[in-house]
Amino acid sequence: MDHVYLDYAATTPVRDEVRAAMAPYLSGVFGNPSSVHRWGREAEEALEQARAELAESLGAEPSEITFVRGGTESDNLALLGWCGGQRALDETPTVAISSIEHHAVLEAVEFATRTGLARSLRIGVTPEGAIDADAIRDAVADGPTLVSVMWVNNESGMVLPLQDIAGIVKAAGATLHTDAAQAVGKVPVDVRELPVDLLSGTGHKIYAPKGTGFLFVREGTPLAPLLHGGGQERGVRPGTEDVAGAVGLATAVRLAVAERASETSRLLGLRDRLEVDLLQALDGIRVNAGEAPRAPHVLSVGLAGIEDGSALVMALDLEGIAVSGGSACASGSAKASHVMEALYGNDDPYAAVRFSLGKGTTNEHLQRAVTATVAVVTRMRDA
Amino acid sequence: MSRVLVAMSGGVDSSVAAALLVEAGHEVVGVTMKTFCYSETPSHGKTCCGLDGITDAKRVASALDIPHYVFDVEEDFTRDVIDDFVDEYAQGRTPNPCVRCNGNTKFRDLMKRGRALGCDRIASGHYVRAEHTKAGTSLLRGRDHSKDQSYFLWGLPNELLPKLSFPLGELTKNEVRERARALALVTADKPESQEICFVPTGDYRDLLRRRLGAHPALEPGAIVRASGEVVGEHQGYASFTVGQRRGLGGGFPEPFFVLELRPDTREVVVGTHEELFRDEVEVGEVNWLTDAPGSGSAVTVQLRYRAPAVSATVMEDGNGLVLSLTEPQPAVTPGQSAVFFDGDRLLGGGRIVAARVSA
Repeated sequence: MDHVYLDYAATTPVRDEVRAAMAPYLSGVFGNPSSVHRWGREAEEALEQARAELAESLGAEPSEITFVRGGTESDNLALLGWCGGQRALDETPTVAISSIEHHAVLEAVEFATRTGLARSLRIGVTPEGAIDADAIRDAVADGPTLVSVMWVNNESGMVLPLQDIAGIVKAAGATLHTDAAQAVGKVPVDVRELPVDLLSGTGHKIYAPKGTGFLFVREGTPLAPLLHGGGQERGVRPGTEDVAGAVGLATAVRLAVAERASETSRLLGLRDRLEVDLLQALDGIRVNAGEAPRAPHVLSVGLAGIEDGSALVMALDLEGIAVSGGSACASGSAKASHVMEALYGNDDPYAAVRFSLGKGTTNEHLQRAVTATVAVVTRMRDA
Repeated sequence: MSRVLVAMSGGVDSSVAAALLVEAGHEVVGVTMKTFCYSETPSHGKTCCGLDGITDAKRVASALDIPHYVFDVEEDFTRDVIDDFVDEYAQGRTPNPCVRCNGNTKFRDLMKRGRALGCDRIASGHYVRAEHTKAGTSLLRGRDHSKDQSYFLWGLPNELLPKLSFPLGELTKNEVRERARALALVTADKPESQEICFVPTGDYRDLLRRRLGAHPALEPGAIVRASGEVVGEHQGYASFTVGQRRGLGGGFPEPFFVLELRPDTREVVVGTHEELFRDEVEVGEVNWLTDAPGSGSAVTVQLRYRAPAVSATVMEDGNGLVLSLTEPQPAVTPGQSAVFFDGDRLLGGGRIVAARVSA
């Protein structure tokens, strides 16, 4: 029996076009972009071309793209780098984040608070996808403030109202960061349309290798480096550049943006079918963030009568179906996710399971997932 | 074909248990229980229950080509095992957390989650045998008596017994190591873990200090004779257990042993070896895996891990069980387990509440 992978929001395989684009830079054009000689020049040329390609895909200037080593680093650099950039002001800055951010944002802000770099505020989000605009207004009312709200929530697929948020934040002259790890290729990401100052992206959710990522830094946004070294990436992210990774990432972003419309309608068709089938086959089921705008690749359902969502994920794995519970980063964490808690409270009787779809997903896969889910949920409810 | 859940700690025993089940043709699912917050303890490689244990278990599962999962039982484990452990020391008793874990946490949780995973049997690497007959299931001492772990299993819920499988019950430790080497398991030569899994440094007093803060159990008190005569001072009664000789300071006319801890007065009572003997033992939280023997029955009871089983007579009183030991025994310790056997057959057990010299 073939196994069915429905965890594309966790990570994706590297696509052929990306691998092909990267191949010349792994061993042929292998130079260090900082070197003076021919090898260095070739590598630098490839790196800057990748930067230009990535910038163009997002409507940015090449100088506004910093290559980093993944989404977590990008979020940390945005948040802590911004805090560091405020130190000269002699005033403790404020970082306001939504209650459903990824751990990369949550923990970076927790660190900033603990070490006195910033004070922090939380902005509530409803299951319908509405954000507490008053909380944002309060946050930006005085002193330097960074507002960080993810574009697409990784656990529920909820699309946050970034345009509205940007309107409030920019009107007050504050800074806006968004974690767009799940957004690129899923919603239109164009920094000419959205007045965001900092935008984090990652490669491995869009068929580039793990360990690739970028941070968009709008011209004029002060940012202190977290690492210190040889001055690469204009000193914001020193360290010898991963040229092949940058090329792969730029290729993946270009393709994701180009294919967004067609892939969205394909995924929506599959996702909606999965949703309808599960809702028909099972009682005690809820679509998480079902009333909110949602990205096309995620279906998160809440199941009543399941004490432990992690056991459901394991049981489905034994049936050959790969899905996620809450976002599972640490070894074996089984606690109710902070996202579901923020949306539905801490005594929510529903256990969350996330199906996430991608290029390899077929209708047959989803039918098998439905069959297995019904069987496993029924067994667990009877147990 | 039956699907078997095997608890893998990352040690050699449970690794081989899993391998034997695979060899026998079962569909095997490996799990490791994440029992406590690892960030509370410094990093080291000694114990099998740390994150290193999880990593090793995963490597073994991968080599055996079986799925492996981590069950996060931290909340239950903290409440049922660690809190109890700390509380027992605070009360001047010497707890046995493995008993508590097996009876209250580990197997119950494995069963519950195992059912969710479609597993109808639960296996572990304990050196103990399960004998399944039409009449029911008995647990027997492991064939390797020097490794026998039945003492720690008296608290198992009775209804779980038919679901249990102990693949190492017929093997010796040496045979287990040989099997592990033959299979080239990464855990084959891993040293035995001696410490309590949540006290990897070996000094449980660090944990008590962290959990209890300022507490009488950690404050100085008098070392006294049974007569009340003060013969020294100690730095906290939680550092002592009945029968202990070390840590009392010197200068006594003959070797002294801890006879009793008195939390109310923070006194540690000491005396000679002859004064250590008790012949009446009060037992609480009793759990029988077979029919309970009536009052007046003759039983054999093991009062300490690795102590020989001794004969006793059951006397009920209002709340529990009182044992009259045929021969007085040394260092009968409140908090430890009194475990009943019929030969190799495990009958049940309980927690020692108090020990006396009969009037």
